[in-house]
Amino acid sequence: MSENHYAISLDMINRHYSEPNRNRYESKYYWEELYTLIAAAGFRHIEIPFEPVWQFGGRSGVPMTPYSINTKYGNADKYLQLLNAAGIESVSAVSFTPNLFVRNDQLGFYFGATGHFAGQAIEFAAALGANTLVLSPTAYAGRLQHYHPDLAIDDPDFIAQTRTLIEQLASQARESGVTLALRPEYWSLISLPVLMDIIAAAGDAVTLTVNTAHLLLSGQDPSDFIATHSEHIRYIQLTDTPLSQSSPFRLTANPEFPAQHASQVFADVGTGIVPLHSVLNTLKTQGYQGDITLCNSHTRDPMRALLRSRRFINQLTTDRKGA
Amino acid sequence: MSNIRYAYMNHWKNIPYKSIPNFREFYYQDKSNTAYYSDWDNLLKYQKALGFDGIEVAPWDLADIIPLFGSANAFKQFAAERGVEITGMFHGAHASHDKSKFDEVLKAGKEAVDTIVGFGGTQMNTCPTDNYCGIGPLSREEVAQCAHVMNEIGRYATDHGIKLGLHNEFFCGINLNDHREFIELTDPRFVHYCIDTAQIAIMGEDLLDFYATYAERISGFHLKDTADPKQPDEVRFSRDPEIQDDGKRWFWELGQGVLDFPALYKLLKAHQYQGWITLETDGSPDYLASMAMCRYYIDHTLKEIYD
Repeated sequence: MSENHYAISLDMINRHYSEPNRNRYESKYYWEELYTLIAAAGFRHIEIPFEPVWQFGGRSGVPMTPYSINTKYGNADKYLQLLNAAGIESVSAVSFTPNLFVRNDQLGFYFGATGHFAGQAIEFAAALGANTLVLSPTAYAGRLQHYHPDLAIDDPDFIAQTRTLIEQLASQARESGVTLALRPEYWSLISLPVLMDIIAAAGDAVTLTVNTAHLLLSGQDPSDFIATHSEHIRYIQLTDTPLSQSSPFRLTANPEFPAQHASQVFADVGTGIVPLHSVLNTLKTQGYQGDITLCNSHTRDPMRALLRSRRFINQLTTDRKGA
Repeated sequence: MSNIRYAYMNHWKNIPYKSIPNFREFYYQDKSNTAYYSDWDNLLKYQKALGFDGIEVAPWDLADIIPLFGSANAFKQFAAERGVEITGMFHGAHASHDKSKFDEVLKAGKEAVDTIVGFGGTQMNTCPTDNYCGIGPLSREEVAQCAHVMNEIGRYATDHGIKLGLHNEFFCGINLNDHREFIELTDPRFVHYCIDTAQIAIMGEDLLDFYATYAERISGFHLKDTADPKQPDEVRFSRDPEIQDDGKRWFWELGQGVLDFPALYKLLKAHQYQGWITLETDGSPDYLASMAMCRYYIDHTLKEIYD
């Protein structure tokens, strides 16, 4: 696999949780230096989460919506020119999750807002030249169940509405030259077997994102999963975790933050227990030629995570600890 | 008994834990200060220890607080066990200048009142409408429409034991040219005013004159300093000016800017202000440090003037 396959997700920057110095992340200057630092760490591609919250309330310094990009740069082309000047050659994918839209007991609101903003995410991806939209199939199950206590995992009506939504988005994505890639997640309201049925039934229109930590926390061996489902795989997110199971917390309202025993669920790439080398070997065996994005969600230190990511890649070809 | 009670405006971003039962072990996972800013238990204790006995929440907090605690009342109880009460909630009356959106804006306002009742709060500090950029300048009819909406939400709030306090931002559609006209169009029985000291100074109001003029209608304060009063139109009317591209801060800890807080407190004494004053630390890189800096300033500079 060549260097060109590796991207870094901007998800490594904490936009949502309290910590000292977080205020820097809302200003344009922070991101514009970050792009150069990503390039300095040897990465030429970035993945961007699409987060509609940044188009509400004047927080357009965070480059995660078309509104932000248009406000700060005029249009997506000018933003891409800025990225190129900083050493970033392309946007590998845009990701989107509907957790923001679980805020009342109206499922119509959830599906309506999710559809509306996922559609925006597709157009955002197209404008940025990204080939893939990574889509969470559902919001956190625990948060959905907070507002809808009768909603069970694999609820038939919920599945039917989700399937309809995915079909609509897949159609829009195809017209926009973007591929929809659903990401199995350990906190989902739709179980993995049902999700795979949805993907299989959709034919070429819907593909699969492999997120390695999510798979491990869903009880899957990531390498086995890749080998079994290789024909559907469009996109890879290398993620790590120190945890081997998610059953105590996966159905809670905050499944990224285990309440009974506080833990950082996602670890910096290469510092957890996910057998990432095995994953990469399996991808090589399968002839995977697509993007591989290193995601350091909830890292305590983005600059350290960036260098840890580079160290991980360097160590694929050497045993030296400080490579 | 003090005339002033101090509260803290919640600018903590999402707080993922109620409390951390394995604090030492959680710390050792990364040996960083993340453990110190991740749970409501400690954050509420920090502000209580610094003498801030109330907390004002914001609507953007609800999507996380409510599922985390189960209900507004459960959060209220959790805070009360740590000696903190919920004073109220901020509210943005989006599009209130638009006559065609009247029902929608009124409904949202009433829902916000109901939410505050659930928290056990008494204040709803309300930004009158959207940002100036995109809607300004407002016509006389649109200003009057904003006032009409405030009166109707304020009437409902009053009926439910809540005081609606207008809270003008320096970049709001209601701005310097129509700020006082707008206030005069609202009904003093139902609509009060929460002075954000920095925001109205940046907008161009004279803080001391404004308070002296409207002292009888003041229902609360958002207390913060600024080094940049009286900003020109091109700044206030620009798109998304609150977060500056170069990291410039509008808001500072008390005493770090140029506002004359001792003079304000002399006026508070003259008018015998009684009620909540809510500290705001938005823009700070370290809310806890800012809170402590402000507490020192309050205790050593302001308290001797009026308490």
